[in-house]
Amino acid sequence: MASLTIDNVKKRYGQTEILKGINISIEAGEFLILVGPSGCGKSTLMNSIAGLEDVSEGRILIGDNDVTYASPKDRDIAMVFQSYALYPNMTVAENISFGLEMRKVPKEERDAEVQRVADMLQIGHLLKRKPAQLSGGQRQRVAMGRALARRPKMYLFDEPLSNLDAKLRVEMRTEIKKLHQKLGTTIVYVTHDQIEAMTLADRIAVMKDGEVQQLGTPQEIYDNPTNLFVAGFMGSPAMNFVPAKVVEQNGTYALELQASKPTVVPFPKPDSLKAYAGKEILLGLRPEMITEPQPHKEGAEFVVTADIDVEVTEPMGADTMVLTRISEAEVNCRCNPAYPVKANETVAMMFDTSKAVAFDKDSGQRIDN
Amino acid sequence: MNNNAAKAGSGATQAGRPARLSLADWMPKIVMAPTAVAAIVCIYGYMIWTAVLSFTNSRMLPSYNFVGFDQYERLFMNDRWLVALSNLGVFGGLFILICLFLGVMLAIFLDQKIRAEGAIRTIYLYPMAISFIVTGTAWKWLLNPTNGIEKMMIELGFEDFRFNWLSDPDMVVYCLVIAAVWQASGFVMALFLAGLRGVDSEMIKAAQLDGAGIITTYRRIILPSLKPVFFSALVILSHIAIKSFDLVAALTNGGPGYSSDLPANFMYAHAFTRSQIGLGAASAMVMLGCVLAILVPYLYSELRGERHE
Repeated sequence: MASLTIDNVKKRYGQTEILKGINISIEAGEFLILVGPSGCGKSTLMNSIAGLEDVSEGRILIGDNDVTYASPKDRDIAMVFQSYALYPNMTVAENISFGLEMRKVPKEERDAEVQRVADMLQIGHLLKRKPAQLSGGQRQRVAMGRALARRPKMYLFDEPLSNLDAKLRVEMRTEIKKLHQKLGTTIVYVTHDQIEAMTLADRIAVMKDGEVQQLGTPQEIYDNPTNLFVAGFMGSPAMNFVPAKVVEQNGTYALELQASKPTVVPFPKPDSLKAYAGKEILLGLRPEMITEPQPHKEGAEFVVTADIDVEVTEPMGADTMVLTRISEAEVNCRCNPAYPVKANETVAMMFDTSKAVAFDKDSGQRIDN
Repeated sequence: MNNNAAKAGSGATQAGRPARLSLADWMPKIVMAPTAVAAIVCIYGYMIWTAVLSFTNSRMLPSYNFVGFDQYERLFMNDRWLVALSNLGVFGGLFILICLFLGVMLAIFLDQKIRAEGAIRTIYLYPMAISFIVTGTAWKWLLNPTNGIEKMMIELGFEDFRFNWLSDPDMVVYCLVIAAVWQASGFVMALFLAGLRGVDSEMIKAAQLDGAGIITTYRRIILPSLKPVFFSALVILSHIAIKSFDLVAALTNGGPGYSSDLPANFMYAHAFTRSQIGLGAASAMVMLGCVLAILVPYLYSELRGERHE
């Protein structure tokens, strides 16, 4: 177990800068997720932590050791790869113990370790098989077993679940979370799947174009995204961005939307809108904040009921997603399936803006922070 | 695929299409027919004929006077055949081993992301594009004691330098090995290079993190995963070795004496120049047996492998 400090790390290939000064630091035992679209530099950063790629500038510290120039095997880390990267000519047991063998651990200790790991991951019955004889989920477990066997200071997971089918992915996700709770080791995990990021992480680093856009707990990132990119990337369905005009009303500032009819909604931090008075901003509102009218919320401070024109409904069982258009932007609303909504009708919806956020239309940055 | 085609066919008849086959249905069979006939007659037909002749006392012309295994008995009493067989053992064994070793090493070196890899690859692979006759002739000049490497070294001042394997009955077979290795190791390199390129790069990273050095990584992880490539290379090289004829013809012409004969040269000499068709046919059948002994297990494992997938 060790903390991880990434200090102003830059990586260049010729003229192209892949990492533009990354600063992340996490405590020992934390689960850090690097998330972002492909090409954002998250895998490069992961490889730099592992020592598989050199960094051009900056420092990487594991615990108190500066490992920036240490070779991968001296960093005491283990990695689980997207393709599992099992050694095809070795049995499962040999795969798991190979790292120990390379570190000259005696045979008896190796066998004991393989047994321990196999029991933990319930792969005892597979030990004598070759990787080609295993299913995707089993290979995934063996790959994790190989990482666990060395008891390293830190685990790196490089999109470990992206080759599994949807059901297995959810199972393994839970399994990884349980494993982390049981072992309490530091984990760095790369994914492009924001749901994995939300469910697993203690801390999420959202990356784009070689920069960390935001580093925070999942809830912070969900509730308080620093810019349009983070807000749009995290959450499914994505946050709605509605163009809204800042209007002055009763001595405070509010936002005017073009729903079925022009509607004015209040904003939790009206003072931050002062500079934008009379101008348009983007209002960020999660789908679950636009619902059918709920009696217990009636008359609450940031709740407004307004009519919308329904374009499409998508029943999902637990909820019904209602697609509408507000101020020319497509907006998703999350309704109770019992609420009678039909396409091409006009229905009343309740807008709860208590958690709404506002972005500058041009720069995409938060205005209400 | 065959299943799909069959289903599609039966579906079409059920849909009430006329049973008479159109030209389009016949076309593939018509196009394939000449090749099929040629292959059946010229390959398998003559193979059977050779087998039949090997049991007769044919000399200059084929006769059908069957004498059982007499020709095979004569064959294995024949000193020249035994020399040819032992030459095949030495030549084949060394040729295959050295080619595999050099090919693997060249492939590994070329795989280290070096500059001008394409050009170097072409240079090493190029001998494969030359026929064994050309290789044999070129190496005959190089290995010739009076005007080849030996002469060059002596002219350079190494007066005592001797390299006269080509005229030494005990060493001449190694000249065949040198020339054949020069020709074929580039091809083995290409096979292995393709195999190395197919190795999952994450697997190599995993080995690195596990603490394996570069030599261990190749020895324990990468090369074992190329087992199918080893197998293919082995089969290709061994059949090259067994059917070697032109190299001997051009490089040594079997000499000195018949000390560098290979079975194919023996077969040619007896069947076509010494009026011993029966004996030649028997030696040809022994060679066929050797090739089959290598090919059958290979095909068996390949086909079984396909079923596994």
